[in-house]
Amino acid sequence: MRQRLNKALGPVAFVLVLLTVWLGLFVTPPDVDQGELVRLVYIHPALAWVALYVAFGMAALCSVLYLWPRTRSMVFDYLAAAAVEVGVVFTILTLITGSIWGRPTWGVWWTWDARLTSTALLGVLFLGYLALRRVPADPHVRARRCAVAALFAAVDVPIVHFSVLWWQTLHQGATVLNSNLTPTIHGSMAWTLLLSFVAFTLVFVWMVIARYRIEVIRVAGQDVALEAAIASRRAEGVPS
Amino acid sequence: MSEGKSTAPATPQKPTKKMTRPAVRLFLVGGVIALAVGFLLVKGLGSSLDYFKTVDQAVSQKQSIGTSEIRLQGTVVPGSVTRTDTGATFQVAGGTKQVYVVNSGTPPQLFKGSMPVVVVGHFQSSESATFVSNQIMVKHTSSYIESHPERVKAPDGTVH
Repeated sequence: MRQRLNKALGPVAFVLVLLTVWLGLFVTPPDVDQGELVRLVYIHPALAWVALYVAFGMAALCSVLYLWPRTRSMVFDYLAAAAVEVGVVFTILTLITGSIWGRPTWGVWWTWDARLTSTALLGVLFLGYLALRRVPADPHVRARRCAVAALFAAVDVPIVHFSVLWWQTLHQGATVLNSNLTPTIHGSMAWTLLLSFVAFTLVFVWMVIARYRIEVIRVAGQDVALEAAIASRRAEGVPS
Repeated sequence: MSEGKSTAPATPQKPTKKMTRPAVRLFLVGGVIALAVGFLLVKGLGSSLDYFKTVDQAVSQKQSIGTSEIRLQGTVVPGSVTRTDTGATFQVAGGTKQVYVVNSGTPPQLFKGSMPVVVVGHFQSSESATFVSNQIMVKHTSSYIESHPERVKAPDGTVH
């Protein structure tokens, strides 16, 4: 059952992304102000949603579960690492699609407003997390270090979220998760937006599972290699 | 797996009198991250926690602003836009105040009457109500409205 779900996840995610593309490009109408440019709303917010809340939220949760002595397990360390790795990719894609959207609508590729700056900072912080994982150390020492780093970096997530409320920014406020939770998007546009969130979240889950498995296999491979090396050294030491 | 405090010294502690290579690398990585974060904080948050001043803020603080460069945010007054050879002139309104903007440079494609905009530039003088700008940015709203609303009705019947 579980394996069948796992196998179905990739194709289901792929079909939902295709459906989002079809609805976003051909079915939904243009916007009164933005015209055809509005179609980026079916990509950019979904990427940001996955990066900020799903990926870095999961990384923070797994880091807490690792640091908590009762639930400490390398599983959470591997899951946090996988979530951050995929999350950084989604953060970079968020910045790229935002830039592509900003040029024709705002008139600039980039500007140092609070939303954009704090998002770039988030990307740098989690790149730092990935760099920290590369520092050679005992697996448990590395796991603890990285869990603390992930929690430190995750502080920026609410700052990014609330930046458009706390400060005056060029970036517009939230369309769906606004203060009175009344989405200011209508009809087929709203449904396609919702679909894009589901589709990209499934893509994220699929990628994280794959990345987690690679990590498990890599660690198992290291153990096998270590045992083989010890065995060969032992064999050398035996006088013939 | 139950790891309490008593099992903590299980990991062998290396003698750390000399800086080992991994430690040097760790400090380098940490330094680069600290520099990058610092750069972003100073460049971004430090200078523009608030990205712009609204028209009424700018008008009321005109004495202290003088002719220094600011970002000014307001709504383009419909019907006030005149395209010129070098750009456009128009009124921006915010609260009860209005400012006359003389812009040089091509406005972005979404620029038109009643759009919220941010203009970069300065007042001609501390008494003048004319704002000289060299860049217009359109600050579009977070509302998305179908351009053919009669085809599909909004779920709650309202149009924001």
